[in-house]
Order: sequence, then structure tokens, then C-alpha cells
Amino acid sequence: MANSKTPLLDELEKGKWPSFVKDLKQAAEKNPMAEDLIGQLELSYKEKIGHWKHGGIVGVKGYGAGVIGRYSDRPDLFPNVQAFHTMRVNHPTGWFYKTDALRKLCDVWDKHGSGLTNMHGATGDVILLGMKTDQLQPCFDDLSEAGFDLGGSGSALRTPSACVGPGRCEWACIDSLDVCYNLTMTYQGQMHRPMFPYKFKIKVSACPNDCVASIARSDFSIIGTWKGSIRIDQKEVTAYAASDLNIQQEVCDLCPTKCMDWDGKVLKINDADCNRCMHCINLMPKALRPGQEQGATILVGGKAPIVKGALLSWVIVPFMKLEPPYTELKDLIERIQDWWDEHGKSRERLGELINRLGMRVFLRAVGLPAVPQMVKAPRTNPYVFFWPEEIQKEVK
Amino acid sequence: MSDDLKTRVAELFKEKSKGDKKMFYIRDVVRWFPGEDRHAVQTAVQSLLDEEVLQYWSSGSSTYVMLAEFFPKE
Repeated sequence: MANSKTPLLDELEKGKWPSFVKDLKQAAEKNPMAEDLIGQLELSYKEKIGHWKHGGIVGVKGYGAGVIGRYSDRPDLFPNVQAFHTMRVNHPTGWFYKTDALRKLCDVWDKHGSGLTNMHGATGDVILLGMKTDQLQPCFDDLSEAGFDLGGSGSALRTPSACVGPGRCEWACIDSLDVCYNLTMTYQGQMHRPMFPYKFKIKVSACPNDCVASIARSDFSIIGTWKGSIRIDQKEVTAYAASDLNIQQEVCDLCPTKCMDWDGKVLKINDADCNRCMHCINLMPKALRPGQEQGATILVGGKAPIVKGALLSWVIVPFMKLEPPYTELKDLIERIQDWWDEHGKSRERLGELINRLGMRVFLRAVGLPAVPQMVKAPRTNPYVFFWPEEIQKEVK
Repeated sequence: MSDDLKTRVAELFKEKSKGDKKMFYIRDVVRWFPGEDRHAVQTAVQSLLDEEVLQYWSSGSSTYVMLAEFFPKE
């Protein structure tokens, strides 16, 4: 270690968690790009400054997205990372791969790039890290041959993503996999040919557990839900009571709306007060199941902080039946995107635009009625949604 | 989208690129043609991109459009 060329990076290997430095060193044994990457990273740690230049090249023939240009500002020291582009590959919906597909993907990447991957990026795509410019098109051609396509980047629709949904989860209220796949195929042009003011993300969760965190990470969140009563199997409730579970303390007392009642024999739920937090269903999956009439809640506006602060999505359609070909859903997406595309400033996300112009302007533009579920902060001012003439009409 | 609009978009790109600024947001381009339908302008830009008169430039998060002749060489 005393003679190590990377004493600062070596420090990152000493913790008890797996280190990306170890992965990089492993890749460097067979790929000079990875070796130079380690060298440049060590230099960055030493000088406390980044040595990447971002931006420029955007893709392959016919595409305006899917590749993020990256160049070293010290090609004199690290010639193998002079160009070190990132390629985003559209992941299979729900991240279900067959092993032969993964092998093909890795073979293509070993042939054309650094061999370094990020499985998966925050948006969901497979991230292939480090490719020279002359390898972009051949790599894309081989990926296409293997059945893969590029994902979104830049001011485009980003690759939609979904939870595993009915593929593995008993709580799925919608077929999140089919919804996501259908939207991905429908909006290929919006993903690959950027025309929007900024990025637009769609994420699909099949139940209110929201395992893809669509509420925090997408402009358009689709979250499976139900209408009516939670299905209760009282026999199974009794079995849980006989086990280690303290139904009163661990279930009823932790219900955020206090809509549950347990008398030691029968569990009752006041479904009108349920806010679908899923806590009781998660704790007693054999006893409780989502209601039978199932669909999705549509929310908009979620984003991480960049231009302005982080936003959580909020409800615009409390319940929508979701069945192929998802015409109602797609009509809504297109109306929203069209309004945002017309009024949004450059680098302004949908949630920021709604905050700037107002919810009632948004609702009128996309043709949605104001409903109580849209109130973001109860007991402030719910009438913010209504136009003065509407209030006058009601008063008369 | 008319050929006339496409020609006007290309010409205005040349005019606007005479200064230091070479890269433009797509919505900047739409604003250059206040009387035109937004979608028609976007289609004209797409067509010019297909013909490689224009080229995308992306930072990774934002996308710009510029005349291909000004695209930075590596």
C-alpha cells in the first residue's frame, strides 16, 4: 500500500461496505479506460477539483438522447478517458432480465466500452459508463441487435419506470408493467427526439406503497389504489392476534387516520377515513387486502431540487380505471405535456410551472374539475382552485 | 409544416448565430416565430435535424439545438 499510486482512493476501500474503488481496480486489470479513470479520480481527490467536461454529443444516428457526452480536461495525463461518454439503455420494465439478455448486454459493453456499468441509474436505465466517440454507433448497433434501445436524456421524456407490480407483488392494484411498457412504446419519439422545455418523468407504482417512489421522483406519478372497503379475513386476523403481533399497538394505534378499531375479537375499518397508507395491509398481508374495485390515482409535480426545491407530486385524478389501451391516461398525459411545453420556461419542471401559474390555471387548461383530494394542505385555503365567477355562481 | 417555414428557421438560426451564442433552447426558437404554430416550428426543427443542418447539443439534463457547422470539434 505504501507504493500505491492511489493512496486517497485506497482509503475508500477500508470501510465495511463494498467499495466502487475495488470494482474500478478489478475493471482496470483488463481495460485501460478503467485504469485511467482511477488515475483521474485520484487526481481529483488530490486537487479537490473535478476533471470532467460535460456535454456535447447526444446520440447516435436519428437520436437526440441516450448519450451524455463527457471529456477529460487532462487528456495529456489520461489519454484513455479523453472521451468517456455515458450511454443510457432503456431497462426492461420492472427490471426483469433473463440471464442471457444480461450476458448479451455485458458482452456488447466489454466489446465497445470500459466495462463499467451502473445498474441502474436513478431514472431506471442501465448506465454504461465510459465510451469513446467512435464506438457510439457500433455499440448502439450491437445493442439494437441484442434487443435493447436507448433511454431518454436531456430535455426529453425520460425512460418511464415501474415497480415489479403483478409480476411479483400480491398488492398490485394495476398492471404497472403493462402500463409502463405501453407508455414507453407510445412515446418513443418524445424520449429520443427532445423537444420539451426540460425533462419529464413518468413512474408507475402498482399500489400506494409506491416502491418506485413515483411521488417524489416523477412529474407524472401513477399509483395503484382501490375504491371501497379493504377486504378483511377475520379468521386470519384472529391468527395474527394469536401470534406475536399486537394488533392494537402495532396496527390500530399507528394508523395515521385512526380509522381502525380492534376489540380483541373483530377488526373494523372505517374505510371512508382510510388514506391508503398501506400500513395495516403491510403488517397483516394474510388478513387484509386492497379493495376489489381497483385503478390508479394520478399525481403531478414531483421533482428533486435543481432549479427550485424538491416537490412531492399531488393528486389531480383521485381514481382512474386503467385498462389497455389506456386512452384516458394518454389523453391526460398529452394535454398536460402540451400545456407545459407551451408555457414552461427553459429548465422549468411541471410542478414549478403549476406553482408559478396556479393550480386553477392548470386545471382549466387540461380540463380537469377541482376536487377535494387536490387540496395539498388541508385547513389553508381550498378555494384557491376556484375562479371568482365560479364562487359567485355558488353564492347566488 | 411548410418548406417556407423550414427555410425561415434555418435562416434565422444563421442570423442568430452570428454572435457569440451558438446554442439555443428549442423554446427560444419557437419564440422567434410568434405568429407560427408551436408544433409547426418544432416539426421544422426536427426536419432540419434530420437533414443535419442543425444538431442537438446536450449537457445531459438540458438539450440545445445549434447549426451543425458550429458543433464543437473534439
